[in-house]
This record gives sequence, C-alpha cells and structure tokens, in this order.
Amino acid sequence: MSDITVADVDADGDQHPPARQAPNDLVDLRGRLRLLALWHVAGAAASVVGILLARQTGDIELPWMPRYALQGFFSVAFVIHVAAAYGVVNRARWARPASLAVNYLLTLVGASVVLHLFNAYRAIGDLGEGLYKAFIPFLVICVGLLWVLVGKQLLADRPTAVGPNRLRQAGWILAGIASVWFVIAADPTGMISSFFDSLTRPLTIAAMLLTVGAALATGFMWSRPAARHFGSPHSTDETLAGLAFLSPNLLGFLVFFAFPLLFSLWVSFFDWDTTNTARDFIGFDNYIRALSLDLVSTDAPNAGPEVLDDGYQVLMNADWFGQHWVIGARDVEFWLSLRNITFFLVLAVPLAVLPALVLSSILASQLPGMKVFRAIYFIPSVAGVIGVSIIWGQMFDATIGWINYLLDLVGLSEPGQGQGWLTERSTALLSMVIVFGWMSFGFNTVLYLAGHQSIPKDLYEAAEIDGASTWQVFRKITVPQLRNTTFYVLVTTSILALQLFDIVWILARPEPGGPSNATETPVLALYDEAFTNNRQGYASALAWILFIIIFGFTSFQFRRQRDEAAAGGLS
Amino acid sequence: MSVRRTGPRATLVRVATYGLLVSVAVVVIFPFIVALSTSTKNNDDIFSYPPTLIPREAQTVEATAVGGTGDEPLPLYEFDDSTATFALVDNNVSVAEYRPLDDLNTVIRRDVSDGEETGQTVVVDGEEEDVFVIQVDGESVEVYRSRLTSGGLFVSVDDNTDQRVELVNLAEPLKQFGPRLENFSEVVTEKELGRSLSNTVLVTIAVVAGQIITSILGGYAFARIEFRGRGQLFLLYLGSVMVPFVVLIIPLFQLMVQFGWLDNLSALIIPFVFTAYGTFLMRQFFIGIPKEIEEAARIDNASRSTILWKIMVPLARPAIATLATFGFLYAWNSFFWPLVIINSGNPDGRVLSLALSTLGGRGSTDINLVFAGAMIAMTPPILVFLFAQRYFVENSASSGLK
Repeated sequence: MSDITVADVDADGDQHPPARQAPNDLVDLRGRLRLLALWHVAGAAASVVGILLARQTGDIELPWMPRYALQGFFSVAFVIHVAAAYGVVNRARWARPASLAVNYLLTLVGASVVLHLFNAYRAIGDLGEGLYKAFIPFLVICVGLLWVLVGKQLLADRPTAVGPNRLRQAGWILAGIASVWFVIAADPTGMISSFFDSLTRPLTIAAMLLTVGAALATGFMWSRPAARHFGSPHSTDETLAGLAFLSPNLLGFLVFFAFPLLFSLWVSFFDWDTTNTARDFIGFDNYIRALSLDLVSTDAPNAGPEVLDDGYQVLMNADWFGQHWVIGARDVEFWLSLRNITFFLVLAVPLAVLPALVLSSILASQLPGMKVFRAIYFIPSVAGVIGVSIIWGQMFDATIGWINYLLDLVGLSEPGQGQGWLTERSTALLSMVIVFGWMSFGFNTVLYLAGHQSIPKDLYEAAEIDGASTWQVFRKITVPQLRNTTFYVLVTTSILALQLFDIVWILARPEPGGPSNATETPVLALYDEAFTNNRQGYASALAWILFIIIFGFTSFQFRRQRDEAAAGGLS
Repeated sequence: MSVRRTGPRATLVRVATYGLLVSVAVVVIFPFIVALSTSTKNNDDIFSYPPTLIPREAQTVEATAVGGTGDEPLPLYEFDDSTATFALVDNNVSVAEYRPLDDLNTVIRRDVSDGEETGQTVVVDGEEEDVFVIQVDGESVEVYRSRLTSGGLFVSVDDNTDQRVELVNLAEPLKQFGPRLENFSEVVTEKELGRSLSNTVLVTIAVVAGQIITSILGGYAFARIEFRGRGQLFLLYLGSVMVPFVVLIIPLFQLMVQFGWLDNLSALIIPFVFTAYGTFLMRQFFIGIPKEIEEAARIDNASRSTILWKIMVPLARPAIATLATFGFLYAWNSFFWPLVIINSGNPDGRVLSLALSTLGGRGSTDINLVFAGAMIAMTPPILVFLFAQRYFVENSASSGLK
C-alpha cells in the first residue's frame, strides 16, 4: 500500500514540462529502460498466470463478477504488456502512455487484491469494534483537535497572542496523549496478528511483488527523463495528468456507478434470483408483467378475478358509462403503489412548496431575526429521516399522541375516540404527506431565498412608487419572477416524493406499506421484490420503470432550462 | 420584499408577519421538544394521557418519616377523599373488599386480618356468604367479603397512625419534575446503541474524508487540466446526478455480495467515497480561483500536486466545508442502503439509523429509550448544520440552481 502512495507522489511531483531536471539524467536511463522492457515481458507472463488463477475452480473459486473482471483485465493487460515491451525497445511514442496505463491500473488492481488477501475490507468492521472500545479516547482526541482549531482561528485574528497559542499547543498534546490511549484501548493485536498470518501465504507475496513492481514501473515512466526519452508531446502529458488526478474518482465512478447502472438494465431482462440458480433471459417480460392491465366490462356488479385473464388480480372495480368495469393487473401491488404515490405527490409537493414560497418572501426582507427563522426551518431536513419519523410516529399515536390531544383541546375530536392516524387506510398516507411536507419545506425555503436574490430591486421600488399593496407585489412581482425557482423546486421535490420509502418504513410499522397496502410505494414494492421475494430481475425492471418516470421529470426541467438559455436567459 | 411603510397599519402587518413566522417555527420545533421530553421521561410516565412535556418522577419520602426502617425511599400518593399525603409502605398486602350488609354498593377495603368472622351467613345475589364484623370510624359494621385481592398499605406522612389499605392503582401518585437521564446511558449500553454509534462515527469520518480527497483531485482535473475527453467525461458526471439511487441498489447489492462485503462496514464506506456531486462542487470552486495565482507558482517550478495542496486547497476551504457538511449529513443519516446491506441481524454491523429502526417505533414498550436513541442520532447532524450553516445554506441554494 505504501509503495503506491510513494509512487504517486513521485509521479505528479515530477511530471511538469518546465525544465527542472539535472543534466546528467540520462546516465543510467538505458539500463532502466532495459529493465522496464523485461518487466513488461514478465508482466505479460504474469497476466497469463493471472488469467489461469482467475479461471481456477475448486478451493479458491472466485465469484463470477471478479472472475470475469480479472480475466478481462489480465487479457487486456497481456496485450498491452506485449505491445509496451515492443514499444519500449523501439522507443515508440505511444509506449509511454501504454506502459503507464497498464502499470498504473495493475498497481491499483494489485493493491486491491492484496488488501483483499489481507482481509483488510472485512477488517473495517473490526475497526468499528476498536472505535467502540476506544470511544472515550476518541472523544478526547476530538476535543484536543477542537482546541487546536479554535486556537488557530483566534491566532488568525491576533497572530502574536499567547493564550490562543497555548490553547493550540495544549490541544496537540491532549490529542497526542489521547491517541496513545486510543491505540491501547482499541487493542489492535488481533488485526496485526491476522495481518502477519496472511503475509506468509505465497499468493499474497506474489500479488505484493506484482503491485510493487507495477508501482515502480509507473513511477519511472512518469518521470521527466522517461517522458523526454519517448518524446512525449504536451497534450499527452496533459491528458495523462488529467486522468491521473481524476483516476481515483473515475475508477470509483465506473465501478460503483456506471457498471451497476448498466448491470441493472441487463438484469432487468432476466428472470434472476439472488441464489443465482435461475437466470433465464426473458426479454421484456418483466416490464410487461409489471405494467399489464386488463379492463373488462361486466354486468355482474360483484365480479371477481374470474372475469379477468389468467394471472390477473382485481385492482379495482368501477362504474363508468353506466356499466360495471373490473380492472385487473398482474402486479396489483405495483399498480397500487403507483396510485398511492400519485396521491402522495399531488398532496405532498404543494405542502412542501407553497409554504416555502410564502415564507421565503418574508424571510427575503431585511427585517431582523430572519436568519434565525431560516435556520429553524431548515432543521427538519438535516435531523435525519429515521429520528424524525420516530417522533412523528409518536405524535400520530391514536391514544397518547399529541395530534389527537391537540384536536381534543380545540374540540375536533373526543378524548379516547381519537383518529388512528397511522392504522386507518384513509389517513395513513395523509399522515406521511404531513411528515414529508414538514421535513421538506425548510430546504425549499432556502432554495427560494436564492431565487429572491436574482429579482431586480428596482421592480419593488417601482411598485412602491405606484402604491402597490403587499399582496399585489407578491402576486405580480415575486411569484412571476420566481417562476424558474418554482419550477426547479417542484421538480426536485417531486423526484424526492416519488422515492418515498424511509418515512413509510418507520411510520407504517409493523407492516410497511400497510394498513392493507394503503401506504405501499414503488420503492417499497421494489425492496420487497428484490430482498424479500428474491426476484432481483423483476425488481430491476421496477427500478427502471421508476427511473424512466423520474427521468421524465428531470428532462422536463433540463429542456426548460435549455430553452430559457436559448431565449437569452432574460429572467 | 423590502417595501417599508410606517404607521399603525404597518405595525399591524409586522406583528402579523412575525406571528406567522413564529407559529411556523413552533410547528417545526414542537416535535423536537416532544422528543426531548419523551427521551427524559420515566418508564411509568410515557403512556400517560393527556401527554405532557415535563418529565416527571414519583415523589418519595424516606422510610423513617413514616416509622419504617428500610433504606428504599417510599413513593407518595394522594386520595380523592383526603387531603393528607400518604406513603406506600407495602405494595403487596392481602386486601379484602367488604360490603356492608345495609349498603351493598359501598366497598370498604381492609387488611385481610382485620375482619372478624361471626359464623353467620347471608345470601347475596343467590350466593351464600360469610358475615364479618369490621370497625369503621370506631363502630362495628356487619359486612360480607366480596373479593380478596392484593393492594398497598398506605401510611399518612403527617400522622403515622393514619393508615389505610387501598388498591394501588386507585391512588393518585404524586409527581415532581424529574428528568431521567439514565435513559441515554441505558440505550447506549443495554440496547447496544453504543456499537452502532461508533460504527456510524467510523463510516461518517471515512466517507467524508474519502469524498473530500477524491472530489478535490477530480474537481481540480476538470477545472484546470485540459486533457482529452474532459468535456465528455464531465457531461457523464453531470448526467449521473440525474440517476436516482434506487436504480443502483440491486446491482450494488450483488456487487457487494461478490466482493464479500455483505454485512460489513466496507460496503457502507467504499462505494460512497466517490461523488459526482462533490467533484462538481469542487470544480465550480476551482474554476472561480484566478489562474494568475497558479501561474505564479508554476513559474517557480512548483508541481501540480504542490499547487493543488498548498495553494488551491487552502483557498477552497468554504467549498470543502460545504462538501464535508453534505457528506456528513448523507453518511450519518443514510438508511436505505444500510438496511439492504447489513441484513443478517448482527448488531455489530449496524449503524445508528438501522439500530433505531429496529429498536422500535409504534407499539414499542420503552419509547423513552427509543427517543433517547433518536436524540443521540439527531443531535450531531443538527449541531453540524448549525455550525456549518453559513457554507451550507449558501451553497445548497447556489449549487442547486446552476
């Protein structure tokens, strides 16, 4: 691990075009280049071994994802190694980027594999235990660092003050002592011994050697003399530097975002369960199953599923155009969740946006105390949805909850006859609308406040001269001027509302989605399919349907912004 | 609206304005006050109706005050028919309920040994009952025994000879202000919230630190290095913000299974140290820093990484503070992903949000402990927000509207 960091520092420490190297750089470059060519040949051989190891079945059979990934990686590495060996010998201009790419990636992959062989990822869990055992010294360290920070802040104002300097020093000493205490309390002996256990395994040693070699090769190729030897143009240098700086981010982006995104689309075309036994390609069947509806008109007022096609259940009954209709769906829960979320959206979004519009218009004035109110309104959106939902669960309690008690006080309900807010179908989702609005309006208020800053002040001045009333100003100036903000706020709030999950999970307990599907939401349906019923292919299809709905909202917003930019952005 | 007017009407408008602001603030704050109050309540105080905000505890008196000898303080009670204050000396005495023969609707409770059997019987509601004699206000009364139960022996604090035997739940306990702070330590130790807390702290620190490092590097590359493919990559990053996390849940879950990270804190940390949003935020800030500052350093032969860490990063402190705050709130409060990943019921891998959700919600018997846990979970993000407000509020607004 440490080798990589050293190599990295060397790398970008030396990579700049302005001349700074000593004139006798070329002295042993030839020897090193020969070594590098050899390294690439060895690397090609190691890649073959790597492919074979990754393909291996039996004792250390890899799960299929890393197996394919490593095979693919080593196959590409093999080709590039061979090419790089050739290019290095022939001093080809492309040899440097090729060699750098393969060595750098090999360093990272090797380091990840070494960490895995050392069990370092699982050890993060043990780290949690260590922190638990040493929580008090940890807090003391935090206090020490806080002193340092405060001391520095004070020193920034008065650089020669004695007190703050003492405070800073005391903070460092405290943090230092507490660090020792921390290590003792956390007791890392178990981790250290398991580290040495894995150190003796041949595979670990081989992987470490490969990693270190790749790191050294990267460092050498990155260096100025190598760059000059291969005659690297400025644009290549820039590209290499850019990718090097971006690489930690970009690789994570590819592994934990781009790949999962495509993989989820792929999975959605399969009948795919978690146990990995059944995995049949079924085309659009998952999507068809989720979206299928069956509409039958019938004379019998109490017709059940028997009038529907096979595999359909009754979604709803209706009387339209003097006839009785039965609507069936193959996935009733999903359709109910769509119905619920539409209802939720229609109520919750205005509740989260309208108060924000009004309140922000007041807060935007220069009256004293506005910042305090702004801060207060913001608190629900940062406090954490689980804690907040637990509080509201108590507030909504039918017998001892505050909501019913307050309704009693104003005479809207009878003591002991209170509404079962969360246990009755008619009010369960409504309760969640209230919680969502309460949580979100403060954040939206702040978004609106930003919008207020772009309203030209002379509009208000003109209105004042004309003697416009407050209501007229709000109606004729503020609201139209905030049109763009309103649109943005509506879209972001809708996207949030469409993904309703946490609030329902807590408030609808013990049966999330209940009572009797009244609070079933699309994300909840997805969660159930994926992790309770283990139908991950079908759940992925649900996820993509939801994604497409959300994407509709987003692209609407994007198009609007683009149109406005095209129109000259006069707003 | 900076329109200012004067006069009585303006004053009225201003009062109404502040009235509106204050009432909304009350609606926002009140649930938190309820939480704070519930988290400090005693076990016997949490299911009372009407709900109260003041945490109360039972008033007690030393045993010696009523002629007793025990070390345990005795709880105090009141009765509807008496102004005196009574101490509950013994809460498990055998109580006999007697009904006078001439007034069967009255109930007189006495210690079971107080009644004197007469040997006679009487028929009540078709049942044959023994007749007893008890003393009421110095007079003998003929009664029959309608029920045997257990109750408490109460002794008046002012007059130790004034003793009565009553059912405990018919007596009104005397309460006084008394927050129960042990709730917090109990939920940390007995409910194993301590381990979840330390896990959350670890995950949060790691995610925030990782996000800051990757975002600084990536943001700098996008802002200052003109490499091939930069435009396209940046568009890709921008587009990724539009993808909701739900779409990634299932494939990420399978990836974690394959890596062997299921049920492990790694799965809560490593996928989340790469953030397109943070990269974007840092890029915007770096672009705003004048290039001349950098150029001067480059003439002095400083390398890119030196320029980045020694010049750009110190200048970018507000952006880093914003990023850290967002990262903190995200990592600390995240729930859906831990719910999916930490699924074996092993409490050692839990984070706070998960522990809280399993600890109980509606119907939980010790909601005072649950609320103590909720307070522990909610306080750090609220404090961080209040401290970092300046950066946070400004940037959440501006970055959203770019």
